[in-house]
Amino acid sequence: MSELTHGFKIGVEKCDGRMHCMRACPTHAIRVKGGKARVIPELCIDCGNCLAVCPTGAITATTLPFTALDKFKFKVVVASPALFAQFGPNVTPAQVGRALLDLGFDAVWEYAVDIELIDRAISKTIRNWPGPFPLISNSCPVVVRLVQVAYPAMVDQVISVDAPREIAARELKRRFAEEKNLKPEEIAAVYITPCQAKTISIIQPAEGVSSHLDGTVAIKEIYNDILFRIQRNAGRENGGASFLAIGELFHWGTPEGEFPHLLREHYLPLTGLQDVIKVFDDIEKGKLRNIEFLECHACPGGCIGGNLTVENIYAARSKLLRLSAALPRPSAGFEAEVARRCATEDLSLRGPLKPRRLGGDAFDLRERVLRKKRADELMKGLPGLNCGLCGAPSCRHHAEDVAAGWADVSDCVFLSRTRIDRLRRIYVRGEAADGRDVPTGGGEGSSKGDSHGG
Amino acid sequence: MAAELLRESYEIQGRNFDKAGEISSEIKSLLGGLGLDAAAVRRTVIVAFEAEMNVVMYARRGTLTVILTDEDIDLEVRDEGPGIPDVGLAMQEGYSTASDEMREMGFGFGMGLPNMKKNADAFRIETEVGKGTSVLATIRLNSHV
Repeated sequence: MSELTHGFKIGVEKCDGRMHCMRACPTHAIRVKGGKARVIPELCIDCGNCLAVCPTGAITATTLPFTALDKFKFKVVVASPALFAQFGPNVTPAQVGRALLDLGFDAVWEYAVDIELIDRAISKTIRNWPGPFPLISNSCPVVVRLVQVAYPAMVDQVISVDAPREIAARELKRRFAEEKNLKPEEIAAVYITPCQAKTISIIQPAEGVSSHLDGTVAIKEIYNDILFRIQRNAGRENGGASFLAIGELFHWGTPEGEFPHLLREHYLPLTGLQDVIKVFDDIEKGKLRNIEFLECHACPGGCIGGNLTVENIYAARSKLLRLSAALPRPSAGFEAEVARRCATEDLSLRGPLKPRRLGGDAFDLRERVLRKKRADELMKGLPGLNCGLCGAPSCRHHAEDVAAGWADVSDCVFLSRTRIDRLRRIYVRGEAADGRDVPTGGGEGSSKGDSHGG
Repeated sequence: MAAELLRESYEIQGRNFDKAGEISSEIKSLLGGLGLDAAAVRRTVIVAFEAEMNVVMYARRGTLTVILTDEDIDLEVRDEGPGIPDVGLAMQEGYSTASDEMREMGFGFGMGLPNMKKNADAFRIETEVGKGTSVLATIRLNSHV
């Protein structure tokens, strides 16, 4: 298997080893040794929690450089519906689309058609699915990776319908190659993304194929440019650009929103990784069998809560509701296009989703059982405080790391004094760093400047 | 005879719906942590959950034992409960003696025992009215190399 690409990199120089990331990681993929954090790549699901909590800015997001798009002759934007929720209540999707053209994109894709197609394909797949239920949505790459890493028995329940952004990229290359007399490889499909994970899903799709998309631009990255052009265009005639109907750009019933074709009682929308994990635990036990479809998003509030969005999710949600209330009935052109593509395109996922191979799988069952028993034995000697000073997120993880031979049991400060000395040298700066006892208030030698309250 | 590699026992407290399902969760992390064949783990956890629920619903107390060998996973669930007067009837899908209260909580639809049997490669019930019930289930490991 090729090396895993991840959405986040830890900059060794900037990392102070403060362990915020280690404690925030939902799959316990981070260890902090020698004052520096490192990731166990097989366990990382690209959720971005580490990036959000790092106090020193040592964790950076993997991006595709914008200049990489220069080689393309024709650049087409596929905008996440979350983009249209970022601007004030009176800004229309058409104005946002106009601004994107002003920014140098050659076309703005009518993404609502793709979303409608995938919505219908999902509903059809659910109707024909023999079980086991529930099926799980795959539009959130973090959820897909979570299943691969932590719920390997459930990979077959991840719905095997492609993501709308992928079929959009495939179709736009076909269309513009024909219309503009270009080769498909001269056309760039650029996704305006609300989160880091979508970028990773383009660089390295979980299903092991290569993406139809050529790059991403973060909403955050392009927000100011769009806003500036909307304001500038506002005074002009035709500033609102009637080149597209709103319905073709923006679609409320979406794999990034909700599924209007599904029955409420058999459909559960979930947002926030903690809640997704709770529900997946229940599914694993065989609960929730009456639910047919789970729409899961790692970000609380869904894609409008993505880590690369600008507006707070409450304002963004209010804007989405406003947009959907104002949605016109689908035009005849929209319906015809949906019908045409529905009849001609294969919308299924192009490769099978497989559980991710983890390091421990390399050993035979006896060795794995031995390690588990060793870890159980080691646990008895650990304090159970989960202080993290050993560099693992919990005592259990430390015991497992030791049993696997990755860590030394004496990394636990309760078992080794020298560990404290080493940590002091790494973390304590100034006078106390040399290891001498610091005088405390009340005792002899307490200096006047000492502010211990007693 | 397959060599026993690991044996873990858990106490199940009857009538405690609050904690119901926790033992199945522990078994899931125990077996999942060993990197066992995912489908076998899944089936084991479903059987364990149904068994745990049956003890919680009907018995005073019970124990659930997981035995891992190099060929299969065995589950032994023994309870101190009312016993099952007619095992054949209890094995029919949809047959249930659950109270309305249990049904309101989403249990007792008569799928428990049939579902356990469906997910196990070997399945046996030993029961004595007034004393208790033992359920023995085996799930084979398909690939564990």
